[in-house]
Amino acid sequence: MSPTAIRADLPRRDAEDKLRGRTRYAVDSSRPGMLHAALRRADVAAGRIVRIDTTQAQAMPGVRAIVGAEEAPGRYGVGIADHPLFATGEIRYHGEPLVAVAAETLEQARAAAAAVVVEVEPYDAHLSMADALAAEAREVHPGWRDYEVLHEGGQREGNIAWEASVVRGDTDAAFARDDVVIVTSEFTAGRQNQAALEPRVCVASYEDGRFVLETSTQVPWSVRNNTATLLGISPSAVRVVVPAVGGGFGGKFEVSCEPFAALLARASGRPVRVAYSREEEMLTSVARENAEIRIRSAVTRDGEIVAREAVVLLDCGAYGGEQIFLTSMTAHTLCGNYQLGSVRLVSRAVYTNTAPTGPMRACNGPSATFALERHTDEICAAIGMDRFAFRRRNVLGDGDLGSTGQVFQGDVLGPMLDRMVALREAGPELPPADGRLRGTSTVVGMWAVGVGPSAATVNVNADGSVTLITSGVEIGSGSTIQAIPQIVADTLGVRAEDVVVKAADTDAAGYDVGVGGGRTTVSLGAAGTAAGLDARRKLLDVAADMLEAAPEDLLLADGHVSVVGDPDQRLTVAAVAAHAQDRVGPISGSGSFASRREATAIPGCAAGHMVDALDIPIFAVHECDVAVDPETGHVEVLAYRVVQDVGIAINPRAIAGQIQGGVVQGLGYALHEEITIGEDGQIRQRGFESYRPPLVKDVVTVHSDLYEGAPSYGPLGAKGTGEIPILPVPAAIACAVADATGQQVQRIPLTPPRVLGLLLDDIEGPVDLTHLASDWRGNVLGDVEARLAAAASY
Amino acid sequence: MTIELTVNGETRTVTAAPLTPLAEVLREELYLTGTKQACGEGFCGSCTVLLDDAAAPSCLTPVGMAAGKAVRTIESLAPGMSELSPLQQAMKDADAVQCGMCFPGILMGLTALLARQPEPTEDDVRTALSGHLCRCTGYARIVDAALSVCVPAERGV
Repeated sequence: MSPTAIRADLPRRDAEDKLRGRTRYAVDSSRPGMLHAALRRADVAAGRIVRIDTTQAQAMPGVRAIVGAEEAPGRYGVGIADHPLFATGEIRYHGEPLVAVAAETLEQARAAAAAVVVEVEPYDAHLSMADALAAEAREVHPGWRDYEVLHEGGQREGNIAWEASVVRGDTDAAFARDDVVIVTSEFTAGRQNQAALEPRVCVASYEDGRFVLETSTQVPWSVRNNTATLLGISPSAVRVVVPAVGGGFGGKFEVSCEPFAALLARASGRPVRVAYSREEEMLTSVARENAEIRIRSAVTRDGEIVAREAVVLLDCGAYGGEQIFLTSMTAHTLCGNYQLGSVRLVSRAVYTNTAPTGPMRACNGPSATFALERHTDEICAAIGMDRFAFRRRNVLGDGDLGSTGQVFQGDVLGPMLDRMVALREAGPELPPADGRLRGTSTVVGMWAVGVGPSAATVNVNADGSVTLITSGVEIGSGSTIQAIPQIVADTLGVRAEDVVVKAADTDAAGYDVGVGGGRTTVSLGAAGTAAGLDARRKLLDVAADMLEAAPEDLLLADGHVSVVGDPDQRLTVAAVAAHAQDRVGPISGSGSFASRREATAIPGCAAGHMVDALDIPIFAVHECDVAVDPETGHVEVLAYRVVQDVGIAINPRAIAGQIQGGVVQGLGYALHEEITIGEDGQIRQRGFESYRPPLVKDVVTVHSDLYEGAPSYGPLGAKGTGEIPILPVPAAIACAVADATGQQVQRIPLTPPRVLGLLLDDIEGPVDLTHLASDWRGNVLGDVEARLAAAASY
Repeated sequence: MTIELTVNGETRTVTAAPLTPLAEVLREELYLTGTKQACGEGFCGSCTVLLDDAAAPSCLTPVGMAAGKAVRTIESLAPGMSELSPLQQAMKDADAVQCGMCFPGILMGLTALLARQPEPTEDDVRTALSGHLCRCTGYARIVDAALSVCVPAERGV
């Protein structure tokens, strides 16, 4: 291991241009003759399209192209291909695209879009999951049975887009034991907008029969493939290139504006820019979903959890999208962390007539962990056990079973809890009492690395530099621009700054799932490692010839190849690469990665899961101290502490930056980022006037401790570090507010009016989940009795 | 119509309706894309420029009102090949940058603060930053880096 590249606080190579204002993001891209585009969107939440007439719009000044549903025959999706590019026949959410217009100026495009005549016969819209699940509710997708199924196994019915479930052990017997206390808790969590400062934006051109999409995305290959699916063309006819991305947070983990730009570029013969306004971002981003959760546990007086059952509803909005996949994750986020004697969980993605939701940083982790940890504190209150002691007793340890029967490796959470005690004791003292209500909390959380395919190519150039070619994009976390070159440099014994990172281009690099799911450093890093080792082998073969030594006697470090035991016998990497170029051809290595599928669930435990066991789990322990103003309901965070499982800290300073940023984003979700939906089905928060991400005066400096050494097959034992910092934050805040106020906290965000309501005799009252069947079985599709009976034996 | 502006010390003539947002003219006509326009409504601070040394949201400033004033953008802080300004260098040294979209505005806002108040307190820095939205960093390093430039006595070399 080269000491220069690993565990090193190396500076980011992209910082200087970003500080000079020179970095060109997709939103800064401009081409000669470029047209500007606007979308005509639906202004009702549900209805039948009677007529769309573009005649008048076509004749408006500056208009060069108008495209609509007939140009985009395909449907895409995750698990189920339910999502067309334009509303087709039916409108399913307020803001759904109907027609796209390109014109010489943005104003002209917007004027023409507004001039499109749209006649709709409105339906009563399902604006909540309770509406959508009501008996005889109209189906948001009457044609759901005919949709192409992209992944088998999920139960579907009516407005239930996808159902995943878990059964392990004899839950009925455990709940019936006479030595247990049964605790039931119900929760709701709101939506959260990613609010990346760069919106979703694409500049498209149509060249030599192919679409070239310069876009702001986390998933170049998904954009390539889904654009092709929607347009009904070959994926090879789409090239996606991605400059620096001005923030992602999951909001760019799905195809979005690119197909509109592509169609308009082809129709007009000109480059076309589609850039969503902040209002469009607020109204139509694939926000973190709102969720409704019931969780019920049977616990002995000495704190053993003998049974747990849960019902989770995830509002996917009008189309299933990533929520279909994410029903898999609640087995781990809601029924993970703790040893459970038996468990049954059902997780449903529910169609509503609202803007589609999607993945945001750690996805359902924050809402599920909020529910789990508040429930955990309610259990502690019910059995009279110390909250820390309960967690220390019950967290997953080496050899323990997860909810799906996966056997976890290593004691991780327990020692991390102990480290938190040390971090707390070493921290600064809290400010003196000032009349506000004080509360504190310690919570645990788990997430996982989204392992999945990646590819990398490494060229060793004759000047000693290395070119790294992947489909990784740099969204701001530094994983692509900094962590991966650090890992590759380590394989070749060169300096990290000598590794040039090629910007993502689907014509240049092989397939990759995308930058998200905490997978970049692991998956792209592993592919980069493999490519680096391949190049290293070739380099050493050539060097062995030059030095007249055996390859295994050579050492590659500090930019030199030397003979072990004879340090005078050495050549620069540049000299070897130059020699190789001349004699055997340029040195290039290729590498790839895919999930090893090492972790396995007990067969039969999980149904409808795309991931039923976690190859590389990630854990975190969070703690906070809050002060609640009883006059205003305002919650001030006084101190915040994090112990995070990182595997190995490749760049500790960069990880600390992710922790600070992730925690602050979580504070926004926990406290004041609120999304509400009006009676017309439109999201009420249209910009940063009413939607409030944290500002500088809302935040504290987070104290963090990086926990190394937990098992991971990532490169050098690395794990993803950017997603999990947000995951336990709403749990930490909600538990601390409950501690401070003595009230049951069942909802996030904890806005000042909501907290004040809690203090004033719980004005909002308990959460209403009466649309869930009171018996768990009533919330599950398929032959639930047979599954429960089978599960009693494992 | 034709409007004469002084941008980063140079006289520039642009053709735009006088109510066009200054940010749009800077970005689309003068290709000074360092100035961002993340919300277009004056709430995020990413479009902050200096107008006669005072920080101003260029998305809400009609270009006609900038005529006759000195406009400074992020590109002026370290023009061409020149070294980073102390503030830029401090941000770089602190590893403060992530996606980078907010930094042009933040740097201009802090530059205005330091010009009028060379030794601000932490509270002054936070107040100056209170109109700037950063979605990535959680602000801590930005505040620390700014203070390291502001108060030489507390830099703790």
